Amino acid sequence: MPSAKVLAALALGAAACSAWAGDKVLRYGQALSAHKSIYSLPVALAEREGLFRREGIDFRVVILVPGGADRMVHALHDDTVDVTHVATPFLVRAVLAGSDAAAIAAEFNDPIYSLVARPEIARIAELKGRIVGMADAGGSIAFSMRKLLALHGMRESDVRTKTIDGTPARLSCLRGGGCDAVPLGQPHDMLALSEGYRLLGTSNQAVPEYLYTVTAARRSWAAANADLAVRYARALAASFDMIRDPARRGVVVAAIVDITAVPPGIAERVLDLYAQPGRKALPLRGEINPDGVAQVIAFMAEAGQIQPPLPAAARFVDLSYLARAGVR
Amino acid sequence: MRSVRLALLALALLPAPVLAGANRGEDNVGPLPDEGPGYFGVVLDTDGRPVADARVSATYRDSPAMVTRSNAAGAYNLPGFNKRINADEVRISCAKPGYRQVRVVRRPAPKGQPVRAVETECRLQKS
Repeated sequence: MPSAKVLAALALGAAACSAWAGDKVLRYGQALSAHKSIYSLPVALAEREGLFRREGIDFRVVILVPGGADRMVHALHDDTVDVTHVATPFLVRAVLAGSDAAAIAAEFNDPIYSLVARPEIARIAELKGRIVGMADAGGSIAFSMRKLLALHGMRESDVRTKTIDGTPARLSCLRGGGCDAVPLGQPHDMLALSEGYRLLGTSNQAVPEYLYTVTAARRSWAAANADLAVRYARALAASFDMIRDPARRGVVVAAIVDITAVPPGIAERVLDLYAQPGRKALPLRGEINPDGVAQVIAFMAEAGQIQPPLPAAARFVDLSYLARAGVR
Repeated sequence: MRSVRLALLALALLPAPVLAGANRGEDNVGPLPDEGPGYFGVVLDTDGRPVADARVSATYRDSPAMVTRSNAAGAYNLPGFNKRINADEVRISCAKPGYRQVRVVRRPAPKGQPVRAVETECRLQKS
């Protein structure tokens, strides 16, 4: 005869199983590069810590191969995924080309890219005529580096640029002597500084308001699955709360170590950098800053990617799901 | 037919650029040191003709699925999961509207050599 405790445990187990069985599947698109980078932290942490499960979401990451940014929105349209991680400029481009996709939550506001130079270069002005390894000319990294140069009275034409995709490749160029300075993300910038290279400035000194990456969904899908979109926004908000909770620091550092394969000491420094009070690298709870979207649009216009009259930021976002999740 | 098949396989056997491409993005992470064997092959119809733009998925338990599309020659290429994962447990499937999957055939790896890539042919039938 089973005891009352055993029966209670069985009942609880059955209830949990039935709740799991009733979870709604949410397919989330991600590029492999994002999956293995710090930019996946909010979503990866929500998944690891059961925040999606708590909202009744059976969360499934779908890695799109190849993961070119335009493909992320395309995957919404061919029903490969329900929502997707995407860099904002590419969402803007897709919407202007006719997509009904919209940002439903912010994932990363203002990425911190460090302009790191050879040890003998002490100031940005000393880069005149020197070789700077840049990322894709139409992307956020190049936008912010141009602004950083301008902040120090330099134009891009004052330096010799070469396009090198990827922080690891740019660090190799610096180490190999093929570049005099390069923008580096974390943790490679920290690694380079520990090797004696010099920090000339960071991207967010020049670009205080930005919206780097978002979760996007088709408006038609989100309208038909509003409850699921709200639950997703609520889980993401809880993840941002956890990132900033000193009591959960160990959990967050462990997630960074697993995601980016860096030692715990570097992961702690990365977390300190992003979660520092006053820095706007991360949204507080997934809220979308319209000024950040407007900045993306302005950069795209400066780069000749879109022509005036410039579209309003509201065309690319739907704040209703965040609002229903209690995120302002 | 054999020469067509060989040509298709030759196309499919171009893993390096596609694997590199899997990581490309505005700020790609570069090659992953813990990456296991990749997955490649062709999607064919029941008459052996290539099926372009089929969705090909590689799944392993509850790990994130990897999804790509077959090219005009029906070829696809996916990067590897973590190298600690047993490649035999990775499931390849293919799908396209108007078709149903009828067969998935994995070619055995050469004996006594390290497995660098796993070849799987996926067959679709018009429904």
